[in-house]
Amino acid sequence: MTNTLDDRTAGGGLIRLDVDVEGMTCASCASRIQRKLTRLDGVDSANVNFATHKATVMHDPSVGLDDVRSTVQSLGYDVSSPEEAADPQDWERHLWHRFVVAAVLSAPLVLISMVMALQFDGWEWVALALATPVVFWSGWDFHSATLTNLRHGSTTMDTLVSMGTVAAWTWSTVVLVADLPGGHVYYEGAGVIITLILLGKWFEARAKRRSGDALRAMAELGAKTARLRDGTEVPLEGLEVGMQFVVRPGEKVATDGAVVEGHSAVDASMVTGEPVPVEVGVGDEVVGATLNTSGSLVVEATAVGSQTMLAQVTKLVEDAQGSHAEVQRLADRVAGFFVPVVIAISGLSLIGWLVTDHSAQDAFTAAVAVLIIACPCALGLATPMGIMVGTGRGAQLGVIIKGGEVLEDTRSVDAIVLDKTGTVTEGRMAVAGEPVAVPGADPLDALALAAALEARSEHPIAAAIAAASNPAGEVEGFESHAGRGVTGSVRTPVGVVSAAVGRRDLFDSVPGELEAAMVQMEAGGATAVLVGTETADGSLDALAAIEVSDTVKETSAEAIAAFHDQGLEVTLLTGDNRRAAETVGQEVGVDRVIAEVLPADKADEVRALQEAGHRVAMVGDGINDAPALAQADLGIAVGTGTDVAREASDLTVVTGDLRAVADAIALSRRTLSIIKGNLFWAFAYNVAAIPLAAFGVLNPMIAAAAMGLSSVFVVTNSLRLRRFRGYRPPRSK
Amino acid sequence: MTMTITHTYEVPDISCGHCVAAIEGEVGPLAGVESVSVDLDDKLVTVLGGDDVAIRAAIDEAGYDIAG
Repeated sequence: MTNTLDDRTAGGGLIRLDVDVEGMTCASCASRIQRKLTRLDGVDSANVNFATHKATVMHDPSVGLDDVRSTVQSLGYDVSSPEEAADPQDWERHLWHRFVVAAVLSAPLVLISMVMALQFDGWEWVALALATPVVFWSGWDFHSATLTNLRHGSTTMDTLVSMGTVAAWTWSTVVLVADLPGGHVYYEGAGVIITLILLGKWFEARAKRRSGDALRAMAELGAKTARLRDGTEVPLEGLEVGMQFVVRPGEKVATDGAVVEGHSAVDASMVTGEPVPVEVGVGDEVVGATLNTSGSLVVEATAVGSQTMLAQVTKLVEDAQGSHAEVQRLADRVAGFFVPVVIAISGLSLIGWLVTDHSAQDAFTAAVAVLIIACPCALGLATPMGIMVGTGRGAQLGVIIKGGEVLEDTRSVDAIVLDKTGTVTEGRMAVAGEPVAVPGADPLDALALAAALEARSEHPIAAAIAAASNPAGEVEGFESHAGRGVTGSVRTPVGVVSAAVGRRDLFDSVPGELEAAMVQMEAGGATAVLVGTETADGSLDALAAIEVSDTVKETSAEAIAAFHDQGLEVTLLTGDNRRAAETVGQEVGVDRVIAEVLPADKADEVRALQEAGHRVAMVGDGINDAPALAQADLGIAVGTGTDVAREASDLTVVTGDLRAVADAIALSRRTLSIIKGNLFWAFAYNVAAIPLAAFGVLNPMIAAAAMGLSSVFVVTNSLRLRRFRGYRPPRSK
Repeated sequence: MTMTITHTYEVPDISCGHCVAAIEGEVGPLAGVESVSVDLDDKLVTVLGGDDVAIRAAIDEAGYDIAG
C-alpha cells in the first residue's frame, strides 16, 4: 500500500506527495517542472527525476494533488498518482485484452478476405465491421503514440503501424462506400498487423515484468523487527539512533550500529562479498542486514532508515540505473528512417501519377497502396520472436536475459570487469596445500588434529579446516575463545593430546619459521591459522601453520581466455589487498587488476572505464557489486550471488561457472544478429513490393505473399537459435 | 516610427522540442514581440522586438537560465 497523502514527516506539518510525470522527453523537462513546482505556493521542495519519471513534492496541507497536476499540465506534461500509474502487470493485462479482441475479430476477417469460397455478397461490409474495432480500439496505443511522436518530429515503429493500418482502413472504406470500380479492400492486412504486433508487445511486457525490482529485493534483505534489551520487539521503523537492541545467533542485525556488549562472528558476505565472517566485539561497527553467526550481541543503533549502509547502496543502484541511457529499440531505429522514405515514395508516386495525366483516383490508389504494403506485419514479430527463442535457449544453458536492450549492449561491449570474490574465486574458504610445520612435526598430523577440534566450531574457517582432513580422534574437552580460536583435548591413537587451533595470540610461543610462513600466506591474501599442543610445563606452542583461502574456480582461466577471444579486455576488480588480487589475476590471466576498492567505489571504477571510452560489462555477485552492475553498460550477475545483484543486472548466469558468462555474451550476440536478420527480411519482402504499389499494380496476392513470406522467414530464422551451443556442451540434468 | 530590436539569448538547457515550445509559449505573447525563434542545436533564442527585461523574465518563467 503506498501512502500518498498520509506520509507525514515529523515537525513542520509537511506532506510528501509522489507522482509519476508523463511526457518528459529530456532532462531539461524535469528541471523545468521541478522549478515550477518549487515556486508553487505552499510547496516546500520538489524533486523531479527524469530517469524514473517520478516527482516528489513536499508541501503543506494547503496544496493538493490537483494543484500539482494543474501546474505540471500547464507546462505540457501530465501526472498520474502512484495508484493510477501503470503497474507492469496492468500494462501486460491491457495489452492482452487488446490482443485478444484483435485476434478474435481478425481470425474470421482473414478467412472471409482470403478464402474465396467463404465470400458472400456484401462480405466487405462484414470485414469493415470486424476490422474497425481492431484498428481503432485494439490499435489505439499505436495511433496515440504516433501523434505524440509527430509533435516531436520523430517516427517510430508505432508510426509505421499506425500509418499503414489507418491508410489500409481508410482506403478500403473509401473503396467500399464509393463503390470504386476495380477497388480492393485491405481490412485483413490492417487486422493481422495489429494482432501480431500486440502479441509481440505482450511477450515483451511479460518478460519485463518478470525481471522484477531491485529495490524491493533490497528492502526484503534486512530484518523486519528489532528486539530491545527488555525483550520487546519493535518494528524497524520504530528504531532510533542511540537505541540498543539485541541480536541473537542466527539473526540479522536490524540496523547499522556499534557493539556495546557481547562477542560474535558476523557474516557480512552479502554486503561486502567477503567470504570470511568478521569477528566483532565491544566497540566494533556492524552493518544492518548482515547475519550474526555465533554469539549474542547488544548493538547501539548508529544509523537508521535512509542513513543505513543498505539504504545508501540502494540509492547508488537507483542513481546508476537512472543515468543508464535507455537504448532505443531496434525496430524503432529502423522505422526512424524507413517511415520518412516510405512517405516520400508515396508522395512521389502521387505526384508522378498526376503529372503523367492520370486521374486523381489512380494517383491516390498508388500513393495509399505504397503506405499499405510498406507496413510489414512480420515487424511486430521480428524482435520478440528472436528474444523468445534466444532467451528460451539461454534458460536451458543457465543464462537469463532480461529484455531486448540487453542484446544490443552485448554487441558493443569491449571491456569486462570481474569481481574477484565469488565470481572468479569460489567465494568460500578452503585449506590451500599442506600446512607448514616446524621440524619434527608432521604437517598432516597437525591438520588432522586441527580438523578434530574445528569440527566442533561453526566458523567458516573452521569448516574449511574440518573439511580438509579426517579428524585425528575424539574430542573430549572443548573450549571456544571468541575471536581467537578453540582449545580442547583430542583422544588420538597415541594418547590424549591437549591442542589448540587459532590466531597468533592464542599461543604462548610461535617459532620463527612459522611466523615467516604466516607473513607469506597473509601477503598473498590468505588467512593463516596456527595449530599447536600443550607442552609438559603447560605452555601452548604452535607446531604448524595452515593456509586457508578463497580458491580460484577451476573454470575461471578458461572463461577469461574465452573473453579474450570475444575481443574483451579483462579487468579484475576487488576490495582485497593488492598482493592477493595480483596473485589471482596472474593465475587466471586478466589484463588489469584494480584492488583495494571500497564497495561503494566499484561503480566509480566502472564509470572511469566508461569515461575512458570503453563499453563495459561488469560481472559480480554481491550487494556491493549492485551499483557497479547497474552502472555498467551490461551488468551480469552470477547466480551464486545475492538477489540484489541479480536485480541490478541485465543478464544473470544461473551457474557459478564463469564460462557461462562467455556463453551468455555469445548467445546474446547471436540472438541480436538473428533479430537483425529478422528485421531486414521483415522489411525486405515488403520493400520489394513497394515499386509494384507505386506503379499501380498492387495485386492483393502480392501483398498477401509478402506478408506471409516475411512472417515465415522471421519464425524459421529465429528457431535457428535453438541450435546455439556455447563454449562448452550444454549441461545435462 | 520605432525600430525593431533583435535580442539573442544563449540558453544552454534547451534540449528538446518541449523546451522550444515552452520558451515560445512564454516569450511569444509579450508586448512588442514580433517573432521568437529557438535554435535547438545552437541553444539560441532569437526574439524580434519586445523588451529585454520582460523577455529575460519570460524565459526564466518558462524554467530556463540564460547563460552569461
